[in-house]
Amino acid sequence: MAGMRTAVALAVLACTLAIGVAAQDTVNQERTYLTRVRRLTVDGRRAGEGYWSPDGKRLVFQSEREQGNPFYQMYVMDLATGDTTRISPGMGKTTCGFFRPGTDEIEFASTHHDPKSKQYQDEELAFRASGKERRYAWDYDPEMDIYAYKEGTKALTRLTTARGYDAEAGYSPDGRLIAFSSTRLAYDHTLSAAEEKQLATDPSWFAEIYVMNADGSGQRRLTETAGYDGGPFFTPDGKKILWRRFDEQGLIADVWMMNPDGTGKTQITDFKAMSWAPYMHASGEYILFASNKLGFENFEVFMVDAAGTKEPVRVTFSDGFDGLPVPSPDGKQIAFTSSRSGGGAGQIFLAQWNHEAALAAIKAAPLRKK
Amino acid sequence: MTRLVRSTALAAATLALASPAVVAAQGAATASKTRADVTTLASDRLGGRQAGSDGAKLAADYLAAELKKMGAQPLPGQKDYRLPFSFTAGVKDGGTRLTVGTTSFARTTEVQSLSFADNAEVSGAVVFAGYGLVVPESQNFGYDSYATLDVKDKVVVVFRYFPEDADQKTRQILSRYADLRYKAMQARQRGAKALLVVTGPRSPNAGETIPMSFDTALAGSGIVAASVSGDVAKTLFAGVKDKSLEDIQKSFDSGNPHAAGFALPDVTVTVKTAVVREKQEGFNVVGYLPATARIALPKPWVALGAHYDHLGRGSHGNSLATKDDAGKIHYGADDNASGTAAVLAAGREFAAKAMRARHVLLGFWSAEEIGLIGSNAFVTTPPVPADQFAAYFNFDMVGRMQDNKLTVQAVGSSPGWRPLIERANVAAGFELVLQDDPYQPTDVASFNSASIPSLAFFTGTHVDYHKPSDTADKINYEDLDRVVSFAVALASRVGEQPDTLAFAKVDQTQQSGGGRAGVRLFTGTNPDSATDVKGLLLGGVIGGGPAEQAGLQKGDVIVQIGEQTIANIYDYTYALEVLKVGQPVKLVYMRGAERRETTMTPSARK
Repeated sequence: MAGMRTAVALAVLACTLAIGVAAQDTVNQERTYLTRVRRLTVDGRRAGEGYWSPDGKRLVFQSEREQGNPFYQMYVMDLATGDTTRISPGMGKTTCGFFRPGTDEIEFASTHHDPKSKQYQDEELAFRASGKERRYAWDYDPEMDIYAYKEGTKALTRLTTARGYDAEAGYSPDGRLIAFSSTRLAYDHTLSAAEEKQLATDPSWFAEIYVMNADGSGQRRLTETAGYDGGPFFTPDGKKILWRRFDEQGLIADVWMMNPDGTGKTQITDFKAMSWAPYMHASGEYILFASNKLGFENFEVFMVDAAGTKEPVRVTFSDGFDGLPVPSPDGKQIAFTSSRSGGGAGQIFLAQWNHEAALAAIKAAPLRKK
Repeated sequence: MTRLVRSTALAAATLALASPAVVAAQGAATASKTRADVTTLASDRLGGRQAGSDGAKLAADYLAAELKKMGAQPLPGQKDYRLPFSFTAGVKDGGTRLTVGTTSFARTTEVQSLSFADNAEVSGAVVFAGYGLVVPESQNFGYDSYATLDVKDKVVVVFRYFPEDADQKTRQILSRYADLRYKAMQARQRGAKALLVVTGPRSPNAGETIPMSFDTALAGSGIVAASVSGDVAKTLFAGVKDKSLEDIQKSFDSGNPHAAGFALPDVTVTVKTAVVREKQEGFNVVGYLPATARIALPKPWVALGAHYDHLGRGSHGNSLATKDDAGKIHYGADDNASGTAAVLAAGREFAAKAMRARHVLLGFWSAEEIGLIGSNAFVTTPPVPADQFAAYFNFDMVGRMQDNKLTVQAVGSSPGWRPLIERANVAAGFELVLQDDPYQPTDVASFNSASIPSLAFFTGTHVDYHKPSDTADKINYEDLDRVVSFAVALASRVGEQPDTLAFAKVDQTQQSGGGRAGVRLFTGTNPDSATDVKGLLLGGVIGGGPAEQAGLQKGDVIVQIGEQTIANIYDYTYALEVLKVGQPVKLVYMRGAERRETTMTPSARK
């Protein structure tokens, strides 16, 4: 899951829009893969990171839409009735929801246990009321921990307790494992001067991929490389974990894949841009992801074959930010986050997905340059 | 009218029976909830449904019959669905006369009343007041044509427009206060008996009297006001020996705020204005489906409405027909047979419901095209008090959906709209464009002004807008029906929930003073208002107009005119105000991702 994904995204939104000019014809290019594009979220200032329930009938997402809290809370929308329910406590910051297959549990990351939550909310609201603006930045709050929410009992169980940002989680298809990202390395020992400086300038540098059992037990680290590793998702067959790996400077990111035990790490893209938010299509044939290949502040959705042998193919052609693509369990729709409706903040969109056209385009794509 | 519809439906059915293949191909079409109504309303027989015309009366008959058929009743206290109102359908000069000394002028090419003038005969000495411009003190600009003049009981003569050679910033400010109504108001407030306007020799349309623009306001401006020709002006200024009228105009044209007017020596004039306002009767057609619940909810009414009038044969000046098409029937299938059909279809769905917690009002407004007159008449003296309405839903041009895009306007009229829209759109699945602004050029503005939470649905403008080519065959019926379902879902939700929506007043975009009348240029562009594109997206360009000649086409986005960057339609309007007729201007636009530059030469708007 990807708190950070949204962070990158929204930080650049204002600029993207300022330079953006509609290119009407390009919208039609999008129709190759996306039809019946529709805006799903309307209420509130911003929304993003919509992930499907295993039956494809609901979506869990984060949105800022309630008075008094300027941070994301988690909501579940019923795609038949349009009913939306908040599942997070309402206090503090939350991010990155995911349905646990075969259960009524939904995980998300939250800071609501932090006694300072209310204070942070009030400070942020006061800052906004002052009329000042800041570039949105994901703060990698070390209080962020992963919780599991049971819809039946509404009980919330804390799964991680280590100091550090624990978030960006996704379940394995059998519901037994959770892959997530954590910056706990920055808090488990006395930092050197260089590490202190690193933490002050870019805490995400410490983030690595972990897995744990669905009850929070057996937490173990899978990645060992300097630079931000985040946004892990299991593939639909459960045999691999997809994630994105940043370089040490935090500017270039690529899509990687590994076995759930951390072996067999393979780089899928070498796109020389910030490529992130990878998610495997239900067919297992290709991976959707977002990249700013076309300009630092212009994120678009791309796709690449599952083995990463080809050059990525561009999917979206709309102005502003398009990212966080998540195909539905049946592979016939995608949810994505976009600023295409204007207003500067992201909202969730749905579209019908043309799988045949996607396969054909990937087949026709040139081999990746070595 | 009922027969007409039935025969259309029969024709379709016969066709379908004749060929199973056609049934398959037209499955969606024959099942449309709206096609028959649009086809009837946009037919030759209704002649473009201009307010006050026989065609509009036929349309009203049709709507009344359809209301009756679905079981709607006339509003409480009303015997008929038709609610008459009176409006000014046009103005003409009924013999304006001006006498300077012993010379009289009476031809309309010499002197003509301004359309908003009071009818009276007055005499007096003449004071020349430059451009007759007064910038309010709040603007911190300092321009007052009357600063050094006493015009009480005098006849004031001023130039039309605003200083021709002023720098861009000055023009931008002055242009907003150059509307003739505004100039007349300033003269009246200073006690002047009359205002005479001359189009200066250095201005576009030099020396011509001003055509009597159609002005629907029933009230005059409280002052005698007329335009005079260049020749008449020469007679008035005959006593000014050392300077020509052109020299005089030039002394004002830099925009220098210290250029002062003066009393014209040795001249008294008598002016008699004669504005003939043609009053006509129009009809709103309104019915309602009573609530079935026994317990009345607060604000027990929900209203859906659309204007059913259009432009007739386009004689009122708001037609965009090309020369070849001028005078033909403007069918108005999208504008607004589509919205009218949508309200009928929604009404039939509400009529079929077993339960209605609130009354559902179905309103069909007339004289929208000439200034929202019907809907204004309705909310001004509403048969049902305005505070009894939980919400109003407006449909205007909803039949040309492209790419699944639905614009919903006036969302700012209640904080409760967004959650409701989100929920309803989960099933409807539109790519929504939401606009908070309720001050739209459609009837939603009337209901917003009555503090009723409102929404307006709109599927965007197109090249056939206000042209005879806006015909029924071009309507996207499948998506029009989806708009109906979406609106019914929203209206049902508002109608059934015990709580009422709070009304929120949206700040009106600053556009005071002269307003649009300052625009005197013709660029031949057709801006697409239903867009949140940065820049001005062109929904089309008018054939042979300056924009087309400059190479612009539909879909281009204007991002800069001269040195002014364009972010929205207001920037564009202001940029136009400071351009000069006949003077080429640099224009930057985006075609797709490509940034292009061209030169456009605006022509004069008559």
